[in-house]
Order: sequence, then structure tokens, then C-alpha cells
Amino acid sequence: MKNQEGQYFSPQQIPEALEILSKYGKEIKIIAGGSDLLVQYHDRLYEIAGWLDLKNLTELKKIELNSSEVSIGAMITHSQLEKSPQIKNYFPILSRAAAEIGSPQIRNRGTIGGNIVNASPAGDLLSPLIAYEAKLVLLSSDEKNIIPAEQFFTGPKKTILKPNQLLTQIILPLPPQNCYSSWVKVGKRKALAISTIALAMVVKMSEDNQIIQGAKVCLSSIAPTPLEIKEVREEMIGKTFSQVNFTKLAQLVEDKISPIDDIRGTKEYRKEVARRIMIHCLEEIYSCWRDKCLPIN
Amino acid sequence: MKRFGRGIATIMFGFGYGEGFPDYSVASIEFAEDNKILVRTAAADVGQGVLTVVVQIAAEVLKVSPEVIRIIPGDTHLTKNAGSSSATRQTFFTGNAVKNAAQALLSNIYHYASIEFRSNYAELSVKGGYVFRVDQPNNKISFWELAQKVKEKGEILRAEASFFPRTNKPNPETGRGEKVYVAYTFVTQIAEVEVDTITGNVQVLKIYTAADIGKAINPQNVEGQIEGGAMQGIGMALMEEQVLKDGVTLNANLTDYLIPTAMDMPQFETCLIEKEDSDGPFGAKGIGEPGTIATAPAIANAIFDAIGIRFYDLPITPDKILKALKEQKDKKL
Repeated sequence: MKNQEGQYFSPQQIPEALEILSKYGKEIKIIAGGSDLLVQYHDRLYEIAGWLDLKNLTELKKIELNSSEVSIGAMITHSQLEKSPQIKNYFPILSRAAAEIGSPQIRNRGTIGGNIVNASPAGDLLSPLIAYEAKLVLLSSDEKNIIPAEQFFTGPKKTILKPNQLLTQIILPLPPQNCYSSWVKVGKRKALAISTIALAMVVKMSEDNQIIQGAKVCLSSIAPTPLEIKEVREEMIGKTFSQVNFTKLAQLVEDKISPIDDIRGTKEYRKEVARRIMIHCLEEIYSCWRDKCLPIN
Repeated sequence: MKRFGRGIATIMFGFGYGEGFPDYSVASIEFAEDNKILVRTAAADVGQGVLTVVVQIAAEVLKVSPEVIRIIPGDTHLTKNAGSSSATRQTFFTGNAVKNAAQALLSNIYHYASIEFRSNYAELSVKGGYVFRVDQPNNKISFWELAQKVKEKGEILRAEASFFPRTNKPNPETGRGEKVYVAYTFVTQIAEVEVDTITGNVQVLKIYTAADIGKAINPQNVEGQIEGGAMQGIGMALMEEQVLKDGVTLNANLTDYLIPTAMDMPQFETCLIEKEDSDGPFGAKGIGEPGTIATAPAIANAIFDAIGIRFYDLPITPDKILKALKEQKDKKL
């Protein structure tokens, strides 16, 4: 390793990568799939003093399942995420969100780790990850930090990641047997569309499938970071579905967000759609729950 | 909730520059030594297929297989003016120039062949690159042998022709005139859409097109032009919008200025009406721009059919639809 301009590293082992980061972390760019980075820098690549390419870190290209959680390597691509049987089975809306990213080319290059550290307010995987209570593993040569995903984002394209840290794994706790989820991405066309607004909702039920024990609603493209509407929890947890007022909850979501006007939608449109997709997601989850209950009744 | 709607629109389109604007196309045809026929034309094929069309036209007139024809495309040293690939004019203008050149070449073939056969045109015919006497079909000379014999006389077997139609300016007071455009293409489209009342998104499910194009010289190309045109019409109806703020374009790139992708494509069903009623080659008329014009109004009518709301400015975006649905609901209450 020499400290030269335009230095390019492609280590085989994670400790080697962390050593490079501790030395040159402030100057060099970490590249995974490049589907955001290379677009961002396409006309000024000369500004990048050096590269740490993660392509040879096979450790980061695995999805591992144990009795309590699934660990997703940061280099897992959107296509792999979309097609993984484990993800489809336990975290269906993460799989669906991955399937709706960009185009086949972008899904084959782009990675889950890249989507997280890029920290776009419109990042398609971020809301489902927060709704599933994901934790992120941040490694540096001297320590290992595991933090809840929602604490990672501080603003548009801003995170708490330090120059000497590498996001290596995304850990998702296995959901209980009775877990329901719904996802809506609203864009102006069916592919290659940056979302105007997206909503991820995960509802966890008690063992007898009657009482709501967990409720997470997370939206993107309506705030500087992906945003959980925590007030929804109080309105749902400890209740049965028949005790939940869908209209009131949808109004709550509309009231709690203050999106901006931009090229993809007005503030007024985003608030209106937030309310409508919240009702849609509640109805979808309710109908899945009811269908599952039917054989028992 | 998704609501279905169906809408229709009909257009007529006068193509070519028209209104007395000076416009013409030149083409020439000659024989190459490798048993090919060379068509020289500067008509720019930007994907619309004009060069395919002129190969077919030359082959049809000269009664040879299209594989025998080779094109020498636009080059200021090698070709003469064919005008622009715009105004839906190339099939009409260059198609006619090539047809005229092929006919002029055929007449030259008959002229020199009549000397060789000591016979006259009515007793001569051509097929597959040979000229022969009708009563003695085995007594034949290939076009290239004939070209060689002509060359030995110090002359050249080739032809050049142009197409130079006249159009007239309309009366400035009444807007009327005789033959203001070279011809008119008529198109009717029906759009079937689904309006998502949760998000305001519109999905175009199917587009039916009936196009009076005179004669489809290459039916597959005509359908391709109609489908491509309709996709542009869908963009115009639902997405494409230049957003300005204080004189600055906010979406001057294809990430933010959205056009439909393959994923937004509807099903197409196209019916071609061939009345052969124009002065175009074999009665053909232009289809470049006409394919795109009826789509947006057909979609706007389909949206009206689906949700009962009329929109008067394009594109009809999800935020406009949701706002209008909300106003419609408030009015009813």
C-alpha cells in the first residue's frame, strides 16, 4: 500500500479493508456497486483521490440465517435481495422494495450497503429496513458498533458513519410467526423512477394472532431522512384490529409529516397520498390477517 | 381503487412543409460491378426506416430482389439534396424520387436492350435482373452485361430523378387553399386506461390505432412508427413537463424529465387502411408525426371516462388528478 494519488485498493479480507480505512479513510471513497457514486461523480471523477473497492470481500456477499436473525452482507445486490428465498419468506416488503429499484442494470450493480450509506431521503430500502427493526454493523480497525438503522441517518446524504468505519452487515431480527407487512412506492412511472413518496408498514401480532404487539410505519421522500411515525405505535399496540380506527391513523400520518415541494411532487400531493397509502397499507395488512384467521373461524 | 376508462381521438395531418415552401428530393440509380444496384440518396434514416422503404421501392420497379440493392447514403461528395428527415416527408418525397429514378433507369434499360434485341419495349420485359424478349424468355441479357455493353459505347447506364411537388399558400383571410399540403394522413386512436385513485397514477393499458396511410410499403415499420409515436404521446399526456423556476429549468436531465420506459408500454392493436389515394409512391402517405398526435387527447378522454373529470392542460400528473378528485368529492358533499 502506497499513499499515491489515484490509489486503488481492492482487499480480499475485511481486516485489510479496515486498515486501509484507518490510514486513508478521509481521502478515499468506498465503492460497492457504484450505481450512486459513479453517477454523482461522473463528470468529476478526478476529484476522487483514491478508491477502496469492496468487490473482493466475499464475506460481504452472503445472506446468513440463524435461529433468531438474518444477516445480510453489505455487498448483497438489489437483485439478490429481491430473489433471496429467505428474504422473500421473512421480509417480503424488503424483497418487493428491492424489486422496484431503478432498472435491471441498476439492481444488478447496486447494493444494500450502498443504498444505506448513500442515505438518500428517497432510498427505497431504508423504510422497510427501519420498519423491520434492522441493525447495522459498523466496523473499524479498533471497534465494532451495532446500531439501530433509524439512528444511522442524520440528513439527506448524511450519516453517522465515520471515515474509518465500514458498514459490513445488516441484521434483521426474525419476525414472529404472525407478522404482516405492506409496502407502497409512489413514482411517476413504473421503472427508473425516484420515489415521490413510499411507505413501509410492519405489524406484529401476539401468539394467538389477536393482539397487536408491534407496529412500525416508516415513510421515505417526505423528510430529510427516512422517518418512522412513532405515534402510530401508541394507537395500535395492545389493541385488536377491530379497535383500530384506520381513518384516524391515516390522518395522523398526514399530520405528522411536513414534506417539501420538489420536482417529484408538491407538499400538498405528498400529504394527501401519505394518508391514502396509509389506509391502503392498513387495509392490505388487515385483509391478510383476516384471510389467515379464516380457517380458524 | 382503480377505475377503468376508454377514450377516443381523431386527427388529420397535412405533411411535408406545405404552404408553398420550396421542397424536393433527388435520387439516382446505377450499376455496381459486383452485380449490385446502387441507389444514391441523402435521405437520413434516423431509425424511421426510410432506407428500407426506398430499397423496397427500387426493387419493386426494377423487378429485382431487395438484396440486390445497395444504398449510398447521405454524403456531400456522393449524393444530392433529399431534404430533411422531418415534417413526415421522407417516404413521400424520397420514395417518389427513387421511384422516378427507378422508372427512368428502367426506360434506359429498355432503350439499350431494344438495340441489342432489335425489338421494342412492348415485346421486352425484365425479371430478376435480366431483360428479355417476351416471346423468347431464354434469350436474355443481365442488367450488368447490358451496362457493360453501354459502357463500351462510351455511355453510362444510369438514371437520376427528382420529385418536386407544388403546394400553395392558403388564403390569409380565409385560411383556405387548394392543395396546401402534399397529402393528409388520418388517424383515430382509442386509449384504455386505469386511474389509481389512491395515488393519482394513470396506467395506459391498451391503444388501438386505425391509420389511413394510403399504402403501407413496409407494414411492420408503419406499426413501429405508430407504436413509437403513441409512446411519445403517452409521455406528453402523463409525464413530460419542463419545470421552470425563476427562468431556470429544474429538470434539465432525464432523471427528472421523465419519458415512458418499456415498463410503461401498453398493448397495441393497429389497423392499417390502404386506400392508395395520394401522390406518394404507390399511394403511400407519411406516418411519422401523425402517430403521436391523437394519443394525448384519447388518454385525456379516457381519464374523463374513468373519473368524470376534464383536464385542459398537459401533462395530467398524479398531483393534478388527486387534487381534482378531492375537489370533486368536496363538491358532492
